[in-house]
Amino acid sequence: MTDYALEVKNLSMHYDTLDGNVDAVKNISFNVKSGESFGLVGESGCGKTSVAMTLLQLQPENSVISEGSIKVDGNELIGLSENELRKIRWDSISIVFQGAMNAWNPVIKVGEQIREAMREHNPESSKKENIEKINELFKMVGLDESIADRFPHELSGGMKQRAVIALALSCDPKIVIADEPTTALDVVIQDQILNEIKKVQELLGLSLIYISHDIAVIAEMTDKIAVMYAGSIVEIGPTKSVFESPKHSYTRALLDSTPSIHGEKKKLSSLDGEPPSLINVINGCSFSPRCPTPTSGCRDQTIEMGLKQVGDDHYADKCCSECV
Amino acid sequence: MENQEFENDLKAKFKKNWRLFKQSKLGMTGLAIVIFFAFLAILQPLLFLTNIWDEATYHPVVGYDAEQISRTVVQCPDEYPTEKYDTKDDCPRLDEVNIRYLKAFGIDAEVGDSYLSNVQPAPPSSRHLLGTDSLGRDIFSQLMEGSQVAFLLGLISAIIGVGISTLLGTAAAFYGGKLDTYLMRQSDLVLMLPSLPFLFIISAFAELKVWHLAVVLGTLGGLGGSVITIKSQALQVKVKPFVDSARITGGSKRRIMFSHILPNVAPLALLYMVFSVTGAIASESVLSFLGLLNIDMSWGIMIYLSQTEGFIFTGLKYWWLIIPAGLAVTLLAGGFYLVGRGLDDVFNPRLRRR
Amino acid sequence: MLAYTIKRFFEMIIVFFLFLVISYLLFNAIPGNAFSSLLLNPLLPPEAYQKTIEAFGLDKPLLERLQLYIVNFFKGDFGYSYTYYPRTPIDLIAERLPRTLMLFSIVNIVAFYTGFLVGKILAWRRGSKSETWITIGSVFSYTVFYPWFALMMLWFFGYKLDWFPLGKFLVPEKWYDAPYSSDEIFYTLILFTTILSFMLFLVFIFTRGIESIQNRRNARLFGLVILLSISAMYWSNGEAALKRFYAADIAYHMILPTFTVTLVAFAGTALLTRTTMMEVLKDDYILTARAKGLSQKRVRDRHAARTALLPVVTSFIFTIITIIDGSVLTESIFSWPGMGQLILEAVVQEDIPLAMATFSFIGILALIAHFIADISYAFLDPRIRVKAES
Repeated sequence: MTDYALEVKNLSMHYDTLDGNVDAVKNISFNVKSGESFGLVGESGCGKTSVAMTLLQLQPENSVISEGSIKVDGNELIGLSENELRKIRWDSISIVFQGAMNAWNPVIKVGEQIREAMREHNPESSKKENIEKINELFKMVGLDESIADRFPHELSGGMKQRAVIALALSCDPKIVIADEPTTALDVVIQDQILNEIKKVQELLGLSLIYISHDIAVIAEMTDKIAVMYAGSIVEIGPTKSVFESPKHSYTRALLDSTPSIHGEKKKLSSLDGEPPSLINVINGCSFSPRCPTPTSGCRDQTIEMGLKQVGDDHYADKCCSECV
Repeated sequence: MENQEFENDLKAKFKKNWRLFKQSKLGMTGLAIVIFFAFLAILQPLLFLTNIWDEATYHPVVGYDAEQISRTVVQCPDEYPTEKYDTKDDCPRLDEVNIRYLKAFGIDAEVGDSYLSNVQPAPPSSRHLLGTDSLGRDIFSQLMEGSQVAFLLGLISAIIGVGISTLLGTAAAFYGGKLDTYLMRQSDLVLMLPSLPFLFIISAFAELKVWHLAVVLGTLGGLGGSVITIKSQALQVKVKPFVDSARITGGSKRRIMFSHILPNVAPLALLYMVFSVTGAIASESVLSFLGLLNIDMSWGIMIYLSQTEGFIFTGLKYWWLIIPAGLAVTLLAGGFYLVGRGLDDVFNPRLRRR
Repeated sequence: MLAYTIKRFFEMIIVFFLFLVISYLLFNAIPGNAFSSLLLNPLLPPEAYQKTIEAFGLDKPLLERLQLYIVNFFKGDFGYSYTYYPRTPIDLIAERLPRTLMLFSIVNIVAFYTGFLVGKILAWRRGSKSETWITIGSVFSYTVFYPWFALMMLWFFGYKLDWFPLGKFLVPEKWYDAPYSSDEIFYTLILFTTILSFMLFLVFIFTRGIESIQNRRNARLFGLVILLSISAMYWSNGEAALKRFYAADIAYHMILPTFTVTLVAFAGTALLTRTTMMEVLKDDYILTARAKGLSQKRVRDRHAARTALLPVVTSFIFTIITIIDGSVLTESIFSWPGMGQLILEAVVQEDIPLAMATFSFIGILALIAHFIADISYAFLDPRIRVKAES
């Protein structure tokens, strides 16, 4: 019935804090096909990482999923018991965290930490087999075999990041989430790592969910893209389509603020203001205070929200699609 | 204008911290216990001042209540259990007196007689909520007196101790080098001294009243291992970027230490202070228990008295001599500890649950 | 590393020297001396006091005595105990130390291990009902007024229930015809316990390499069974069989004090572990471990607890320093004649050589323990290891 590796429908999640409810994820829906690369773009604090955590059901204690469904390979994740979730984690869906430095336990060797995951999901494989597999993975990401015997603090940032990728692949997952995997690295390494990821994805036929605030990177890595703002998806569609004809003001602003080495030198435009605080319930379009071309409905915040189709598989928020 | 803002800032901070503290069940329980005992401490002088309590009767040290009741003379059997009594402890009961005891004092009596005798130590009654001790002094009053002692001692020694160790630890961390080495060896020296025998020696050639003991305990505590702990905390603060920027903008070392590092170490120092109150209260009780102190009355002294007078092994018969004092020490020490735990939640954001 | 050790060693000598001087002066500051009671005895002629004082050199001026003592100390001559004359302090320490060690090493190890276990579980189950109650119980245990608690235990288990003896470490009647002195038995017991614990430790180390949890547990159980059988064989044959009866007597007397002290001691470790673990749990690598699909238990034990071990081990080492100090109370309540009682006695009786010797003993232990604590921290945390080497 589906060849979707991942189906997310109407997912809403908020954090229960001392100051009130923080609506971090508002009515998010998207699908990822097998082998497809899907990008999630937005400013810091727009909810991308919250979505990632929810996909693995690793959200913090004080978060509440008020509605929605997440299906991995057709199996519903929300509502599963911890024991059932444990089997799915890493085996079907894994994650490369933001900040690889902290993903490693400082007192245990790198190789052992990877083998630990393998033992959990493939208990019958022997130590030798596991080590061989790790060596293969390391070769794939461009690491030397000897790294496995080292402690995390002995590795450089780039090496740690590559090792985290190897860790994420160690149990042959079908879906890999990469949450800003290259933010803390310099451009040269960044480029290398991106190429490794792409290579690995093609080699293994994984579905990749790439999360970043860097729209340039997303453009390079993904087949389909969703733009998030203040907890909701404001535009979603094939990368090419969104880049060539962005329909939402926010998407346009994002693209405009990225420098290009082609064409004339022009002054970068940037958006004034800040994303809204997610504690207060937002009526109407959450972007309207900063939108450079608001209509009367947007300004009064009376407009009804929701995605409207604007192209082939390409959707954008109603307010903007009616704007321009 | 800026000072006003700063004050408002502080008020807001305090309010926020209070809200966080309220969240911690442990902390609030501890606070309740501490407030209860503080209330007891204040209650006593109030009762005397307002003459609700007559000093002659209720004073914890020199009061005396010469109550007399009539008791029946009995002969305690040789073997147990019997019909009336289960064990040796049960005879004589509190309203009875053993004829052998009377004969030993040359008092002629026969089984079945009524004998008017002093009641001390008296069990709890409407006049004495927790009974009296063997000298006729009201136990409840003693408990309150002990509360005063505990608070005084605990707080003074904790403040002195933490004041010293914070200053020294921060200095050791910040100045490093020779000062650091010296301070570390000094705390080694203090660590090496076994505390109980040492305190015993001090008490042998110096009269230790509550104040003196507080200062001694505080200084000992302040110069010992806590310097090492505070130093490691201060080291962590020292390597934070804001300290570097303070130095670059030309702050003198001393100024940086006082206005930047110290305030950041202060919350932890506050924490240690609360925990050292626990230790101070316990130490005083132990020292009193061993008879080493010159204090008139404290919880430790209460237990010391009941032990030297041999009431401990009577079990639950004279429970009011043993249980209230021991419970009080435990509860108050525990109360401060719980407050410290609650403060931990406030100051250490990593421990918070939200 | 080597340079650091040498520097530290010299510093320790200086500190120790200072310590000797301060202690000596302190002891002499107490009014009166060990022999004042001679003055009160009406049967003795007044010259007796004077003669005794001269014999022990107490009539010399303070500084001269201090000098003499220090010189002799570093020659290895610690004098004779005043109260136990003609025994030397070393002799007395050697007699009393095993008794204290026996009792308190077991207590410390059990308390440390139990405390760590409880603290681990508490931190993991934060917010649950059981956590609140166990934490309160631990706090109670930690802050309970120890003399009171010990007396209650003694009364309840020793007097009321009559399960355990009320004090001392043996029943003299049973030992009248004993071919062995209590010291010998103690030595045997200590040797046995030390070797047993060491072998247990080895079993743990060797099975660390086994990857699967199930196999590792089985291997350890197997090792435990082997050790138990060896112990049984040991005590049934040869000389040990003869000692068994007396060893059992001592062991029987040890149960109540050990149990009492452990109950009070485990709480400190438990609470410390709990706090440290709670901090560690917020670290990112814990999240990664969970994301890997590892079981709660595994994340807790293998990742969180491992890092939380550091401060706990440091505190454990510092606790060892205070073994003897802490034993003073317990030994006087349970009438267990060990080092703690010895020190108190020496101080009370102003038996200066004995007091100085015992204080020095503790002092040296404290210095060494602090040094070991510093080094073991580097050992446990590989990050510090690298810094120390560079």
